[in-house]
Amino acid sequence: MTDSLSAALATLRHRFGPQALHRGDQVERSTAWPTGVPVIDTTLTPGGLPRGRVSVLAASARGPSGRLTLLQSLTALASRSCDIGYVDLHGTLDPGFLADLGADLDACLVISPGRRHWERALVMARALVVAGTPWIGIALDDDQPATRLWDHALVALTEAVGKRSTVCVIAAPAPLAAPLAYASSLTLTCAPAGWQMAHGDVAGLRVRVSIRKSRVGAMPSEASLLLRYPRPYAVAEVMGLPTVVTPRLQTGDGFLAGDGRTDSAKSAPAAVMAAVPG
Amino acid sequence: MTVGGTRGSPPRVLCARYLHLGLVDALRRYPELQGEAVIVGGAPELRLPVIAASRAALAAGVRPGQPLRQAQQLCPRAAFVPLDPEAVGALRVSLCGSLQTVSPAVEVGDQEALCDLSGRHAAFADELSWASATARVLHAALGVDSPAVGVAGSRFVARMAAQVSDAGRIRRVRPGEEAAFLAPLPLEVLPVRPAITARLAAFGLDCLGAVAALSPGDLQRQFGPDGLQVHRLARGQDDHGAEPVPAQQAWCERLVLDGATGDLETLLRAARRCAEALGDRLAQSGLAAGQANLVFEVEEGEAVSATARTSSPLGSGAGLWTALFGLLSELVPPAPVTGVRVGVTGLGPAGGRQSDLFRPGDAAREHVEIAAQRLRVRFGDGTVRRPALAVDPGDVPERRIAWREPAPALAR
Repeated sequence: MTDSLSAALATLRHRFGPQALHRGDQVERSTAWPTGVPVIDTTLTPGGLPRGRVSVLAASARGPSGRLTLLQSLTALASRSCDIGYVDLHGTLDPGFLADLGADLDACLVISPGRRHWERALVMARALVVAGTPWIGIALDDDQPATRLWDHALVALTEAVGKRSTVCVIAAPAPLAAPLAYASSLTLTCAPAGWQMAHGDVAGLRVRVSIRKSRVGAMPSEASLLLRYPRPYAVAEVMGLPTVVTPRLQTGDGFLAGDGRTDSAKSAPAAVMAAVPG
Repeated sequence: MTVGGTRGSPPRVLCARYLHLGLVDALRRYPELQGEAVIVGGAPELRLPVIAASRAALAAGVRPGQPLRQAQQLCPRAAFVPLDPEAVGALRVSLCGSLQTVSPAVEVGDQEALCDLSGRHAAFADELSWASATARVLHAALGVDSPAVGVAGSRFVARMAAQVSDAGRIRRVRPGEEAAFLAPLPLEVLPVRPAITARLAAFGLDCLGAVAALSPGDLQRQFGPDGLQVHRLARGQDDHGAEPVPAQQAWCERLVLDGATGDLETLLRAARRCAEALGDRLAQSGLAAGQANLVFEVEEGEAVSATARTSSPLGSGAGLWTALFGLLSELVPPAPVTGVRVGVTGLGPAGGRQSDLFRPGDAAREHVEIAAQRLRVRFGDGTVRRPALAVDPGDVPERRIAWREPAPALAR
């Protein structure tokens, strides 16, 4: 193996994590939690969300982004197969909505530490992870306290998640705090892509999800999700919308598109051509 | 669990009938009503049934189950007393504790108690003296008329023996004499559906002896499995004994400190050590405690204590420590502490369950519940909850969800 190839492999491993590359004859143990949503499990994060790592659903900008709805949808999906903990700093969790999403409420443990109590939330989440909760979701609120108040709790949580192979998903507001960006192994940016209308009524929310950081082998990609709201005649669900995915290489702070333009130069809506049914 | 008979000895059951515990409690509360007509159940204006009646009221025609208004018409001079369920429960527990001093298995009801008299008791020469001692214990515990006692080989026959016995008397049915004892009794005493007794009466059978003379096959053809049960009862061959209530146990661990101290850290460590020792004992015995208490023995003063009642049984040191940790903020010792005592009461079998191997996290549910309780103690009630669908939400959508505190996981 040439030096340049070794250096390239080392760079890839450093940038995308040790799971990014492995030899063909090495069968890797599955370390991902399949969400059951094909577009997430295939397009965004091969195999699903990583176990033993912190995944972050980050808002692309201030204001609504769909990250909480996506987190609650994932929580509902997880509760069907395992016990889950949901840390609700936002105070917006509606268990009825969870039930409409198909959650097994008996498997859900809801923690309400109160707004702005990020440290308390992370400490409580860690306690549940250490006790053996296999899936934990944390909905952080928009009032971000000073970093020094909670970054040590985040480090402890990350360590516990790694030791217990827990699936940990954190919904974070914009701008993404530096400790969260650092601790995250998979950062998905959520941006609202408009309402899904049906017969003149709001039937759901379209969310554009892109990979902002990955240390678990997921290549940079984008996908559009439809978070369909529960209706009297239809259950809530998460489904992928057909998109044209443009694989790009990551350089520096931003993405380079295939034609060499940066993200800022290429408008995101143009990169995702969502064919919205109906 | 039914107890009756040890290996090598036939089962023997004692049944004692006494005044209804509600009436006993009423007579304790109002001693001036001794010998008067007393009806327990509530005010006669209420549409409630008679729970119990004194001898004088019974003589006037009052019967348990009658409407109170009818009882008032039958016995206008009677005193109507409301039932105090808590006092009756306490009386039952006290009675159970007294009887457990003379019998290994005791079942106490509102009007009768069943005790296991199988085998030999070291303190009593024979069965009769054992039964007499039991009756004396009952009389002393209740403080009213002596009970009517029956001793036989099974639960049903012992109850019948107690029914035919007089107050202060013991009616013994020796082994092998059950069928002869039961033979003249009417069909109504059989604890079976009224339809069965009515059908038996329609066949011209008027006593248990007539039923016992039938073949079990005939009865089974008529009544199915109930027919076999009727046959066994009529011959005094039912194999049910007393269904005992476990004895109230209390365990305690005490740690005497090297010197009197008020250092909270030292007290914490001492309490934790006691909790872990007790937790180990509980785990080894497969038991769980209903409540835990923490006592600080202080220098030249009265000990201070606090008790924690938990929603889930405490079966481990970690769970026990979680309960005690919440008590520490309540206990402020007025003087330096010389000793720490941790006790558990309400011991019962620890609930075991089959965990779902294919459901991640299911095996750790108990640990998660303990962690959740610890978080509630630390951060306050309402911080950790489980959502549940309301049973009857009504028309308001917001009411379709009910929050509940985490409880020990049972089989899913």
